[in-house]
Amino acid sequence: MRKIQVDALVVGGGIAGMQTALDLADQGYQVALVEKEPSIGGKMIALSKVFPTLDCCSCITTPKMSAVAHHSNIQLLTYHEVQAIDKTGSTYTAEVIKKPRYIIEDDCTGCRQCEYACPITLPNPFDLDYGATKAVRVPFSTAVPQYAVLDIENCILCGKCEKACPVNCIDFTQQPETIAIEASAVVLATGFETTSRLAKKEYGAAENLNVINAMFMERLLAPTGPYGRVIRPGDGKEPDSIAYIQCAGSRDATLGVEYCSRVCCMYAIKQAMLIAGSLPLADITIYYMDIRTFGKGYEQFYQNAKAMGIQFVKGKVASIKEDENQNPVLRVELIDEGSQIVERTHDLAVLSVGMLPHYDPEAVFKVSLGDDGFVNIPHTNAFPCLTEQEGIFVAGTSAGPMDIVDSIVMSGSAAAEAAAYIEGVKETPSPEEKSEDVYA
Amino acid sequence: MPKKENEEIKIGVYTCYCGGNISDVVNCEGVAEKLAKFPNVVVSRTNMAMCSDVGQSMIEEDIKEKGINRVVIGACAPSLHEQTFRGTVTRAGLNPYLYYHVGLREQDSWVHKSNCEGASIKAVRLMATGLAKARLLDPLAPIQLTAEKHALVIGGGIAGLKSALDIAQRGLRVTLIEKSPFLGGRAAQLDTLFPTSENAQETVHELIEKVVSHPNIVVYTQSQVQNVTGYVGDYQVQVSQDSRGVDDTNAEEIMAACQQTVPDDFNYGLTERKVVYRAYPGCFPHTPAVDWENYDGKPVTVNGEEITLENKPVLIPLHVGAIVVATGFDPYQPREGEYGFGEIPEVVTLPALIRYIAMLGTGEDLVWNGHPVRDIAMVHCVGSREIEGVHEPQADGEVNNYCSRVCCTATLHMVNTLKEHFPDLNIYDLYEDIRTYGRGHEEYYQEALENMVRFLRFHGDDRPTVKKAEAGDTHPVLIEMRDHLTRGEEIEIPVDLVVLAVGIMPRDIDDLVKMLKISRGNDRFLAEVHPKLRPVETAVPGIILSGTAQGPMTVQESCAAAAAAAAKVSVLLSAGQVELEPFVAQIDLEKCTGTGDCVTVCGYEDAIAVKEIDYNGVKVKRAVVTPANCTGCGCCVSACPNEAIQVQGWTIPQYDAMLDAIAFDFSELMEVVE
Repeated sequence: MRKIQVDALVVGGGIAGMQTALDLADQGYQVALVEKEPSIGGKMIALSKVFPTLDCCSCITTPKMSAVAHHSNIQLLTYHEVQAIDKTGSTYTAEVIKKPRYIIEDDCTGCRQCEYACPITLPNPFDLDYGATKAVRVPFSTAVPQYAVLDIENCILCGKCEKACPVNCIDFTQQPETIAIEASAVVLATGFETTSRLAKKEYGAAENLNVINAMFMERLLAPTGPYGRVIRPGDGKEPDSIAYIQCAGSRDATLGVEYCSRVCCMYAIKQAMLIAGSLPLADITIYYMDIRTFGKGYEQFYQNAKAMGIQFVKGKVASIKEDENQNPVLRVELIDEGSQIVERTHDLAVLSVGMLPHYDPEAVFKVSLGDDGFVNIPHTNAFPCLTEQEGIFVAGTSAGPMDIVDSIVMSGSAAAEAAAYIEGVKETPSPEEKSEDVYA
Repeated sequence: MPKKENEEIKIGVYTCYCGGNISDVVNCEGVAEKLAKFPNVVVSRTNMAMCSDVGQSMIEEDIKEKGINRVVIGACAPSLHEQTFRGTVTRAGLNPYLYYHVGLREQDSWVHKSNCEGASIKAVRLMATGLAKARLLDPLAPIQLTAEKHALVIGGGIAGLKSALDIAQRGLRVTLIEKSPFLGGRAAQLDTLFPTSENAQETVHELIEKVVSHPNIVVYTQSQVQNVTGYVGDYQVQVSQDSRGVDDTNAEEIMAACQQTVPDDFNYGLTERKVVYRAYPGCFPHTPAVDWENYDGKPVTVNGEEITLENKPVLIPLHVGAIVVATGFDPYQPREGEYGFGEIPEVVTLPALIRYIAMLGTGEDLVWNGHPVRDIAMVHCVGSREIEGVHEPQADGEVNNYCSRVCCTATLHMVNTLKEHFPDLNIYDLYEDIRTYGRGHEEYYQEALENMVRFLRFHGDDRPTVKKAEAGDTHPVLIEMRDHLTRGEEIEIPVDLVVLAVGIMPRDIDDLVKMLKISRGNDRFLAEVHPKLRPVETAVPGIILSGTAQGPMTVQESCAAAAAAAAKVSVLLSAGQVELEPFVAQIDLEKCTGTGDCVTVCGYEDAIAVKEIDYNGVKVKRAVVTPANCTGCGCCVSACPNEAIQVQGWTIPQYDAMLDAIAFDFSELMEVVE
């Protein structure tokens, strides 16, 4: 079995994992970054622009992806998954499985000839299944690494990709491989997932295609998105009137999610601003319970949105029905207008879905979870990244909902705490080394 | 670094879409097509994001395969990705300074959104200047400096403590200075911390113990920065430390004998303390100190002997590689009369009430100004989320238009604490939006609802008013407000106590800001370079931000930011070497006659001097530059009568070429660009 020895193992290649890896590697530590998907970038790379600076998201993410790939202290292991972890003395040994891409990575140039040749068309997960992709593909245009990956479940083994490949790197016979990674410290940066748009039955998203989730709006607004413009999926119409339904998946006991997801207010306001740019005549209304623009520069962002004419209406949307033109009809109490209950018709309803725990690290990493399902941090105030397992740290949204800015700061924090721990391990010889000394 | 002899200039020019930021306005393909026709241009390409791995690989391949030896990229601002692309060209084996960055986003697409054609033409012009400069670029080498493996942390609150500890644990030396005589800062003034309900002082003390016992950390209390010179890796800092005034042999006696008292700032003036004092029992250092600011200078009589306490400040010189600014915040101090504050004794700030509750013995009743408290109102957003033109500005003319982040949860934490101690208390909570955003925060809101706290909602431009009740009323204070949870009803709430949830204010640290040459944002908190790319770094290399000096944060967020700051310090200093930009003045010794005009105009210490040097075997007076202190501002260039000075990387011939290019009439070329 191939064995990799590093100072720190970072699990997850989203923004938090990448930042943690960079902050450790820049300090001179050897880092292995394991990502289960074929490319790093996480959820962030799929976004359009990011608040509060409105930087294009790629401009922030892709250079970090590139820096991770080229850093001399980072070993990047994409399409790998940690299966088990074991601690001997002060060393963690992770059993990591390398999933077969069915292409020979060393030879693949990312030319996409296989993708063009593939006859199988599938919903594109990168565009939340709205756009189309192929059974063999480079995951997305800015993917790192630029290797094709073959979806064996959907492949019909027609061999067209094999013929098209100019470097002959398609290999249908690849098998999973297991490798071992030895590290002093482990950082979990396994991220989050969003609430399903179908979670709240009252919002009728199962029947009405024009009730979308905000992540899809990100794709619609992104220059790399499936349609290149904002249209509603039900009939391709350009929406004139767009409603945002806040807390669609957060602060809602009926969904078992009582916490606030922290990011939805800001992303809804950001999207509203971006839509106002691409559809200047559209009316945009944000239905909210409380506007929580708490971060640095966020309140001013909210006030700017108000000044741009975006409507903010206090009221939790009770239900969404559909009229004969597939328009979503919202039932809502207008609290600031005498608490009257009204029905309002919009062209498109966007659910500001929340953040849910994504990966349960309990079985593999033996760290426990809080009541909210995110990784438990026993001394959260003074040691905000330390799990109850000595030497295992956590960064980003695996420790609860947070925005990109807070994830990045927490990643720096995890890197500092892990570095301090690694130094401590270096100073204190492990029990075995001690015993060797005795008998030497 | 000399240019290669007779090198043929081959330029690769790249026009970035910037994910739509540029391409939505500028016709990038058209621009690239034009650029391909310029002299020396070998390839002209576009990409959705040049900074992506795909974009970067494209440049690398062109360098390796097409022999490109100058690279011009038109993209976002250089502040964002100049470093990224320097890395790219370096990886391909080219000197990083043979690449030039043109800002097509901030300087073009973002400011000409309504004029696509004009913006496209401007893009060609801007890129043409880049090409003109690129033809004259010389390879340069960054200035290498030894870095002192020692950091100064300014501020002994929870953020400063946390940064100091994490830097020290990384194996670097740390000096921590604190202005007041005691460590712990604002966090030590809290009672219990959300979301864990742990005792605040215990958490702070745990950190303090680790800090003071760490062999790599030296702590100075009653200390402030007096002067800073130098640069990253090599800062010379003068710290002035006041005397403690007493020592362990006489402290208790002097403290007992001291008669002069002042309002206790630790308890926000709720109690009095002596001018020889401890901040609180169990504080660190445990030795009392003299409050020099308030001490009246009168001698203290101990055992019949008169002792005059004397402050003899000492100067401590420090040599550090990086400086962490963890100067913290001040709670917002309401103006006289704001919500009745200062005029009505039954109006108190939340931090003061926290101290009051912390000092209250078990079983004691809640009594304020002599009468029992039965009805209490909490008012949110005092000194936060203010609106220009609606709310009265602060002393500096600004309104606090930001959210202070912590007050909602802190208020609800207090509300539930009150309910726990005084179940019969009737609580009103007057808010605009409840922002219990953090992990475990929403639970405080839920608990408050279960505790039957009455929530009333005001609008930001129509906040409640607080006035003294009429004589004979049942309660001393009357609140009037419009409640938007009950159809905008005008209501009056008679209460015994009003608690103002005051926000977080930036500290008055103007002197320090000037000394460090760092900047503040619009909110007057210290500004980071970029919230995502460099979230804890200032624009000055080696000056790092930690905690609430940067903006409102909870204790947990402060600690996370402080640790992130420690990571940055470690990145900077652990290698023992730092690199500076080579854009510094360079003297042509042939032309220089040692007039010293350059020295007169130079605004920086020790950057340029006239010295006697040996030139071609002759002793002559010439200007000599200390690269580490030179900022490359160019003042000396314009002052030199002999045109003997150039700033490397920004030479006069380069500027001339750029000016010629931007003014050049290339209308023929423009036709197809729209």
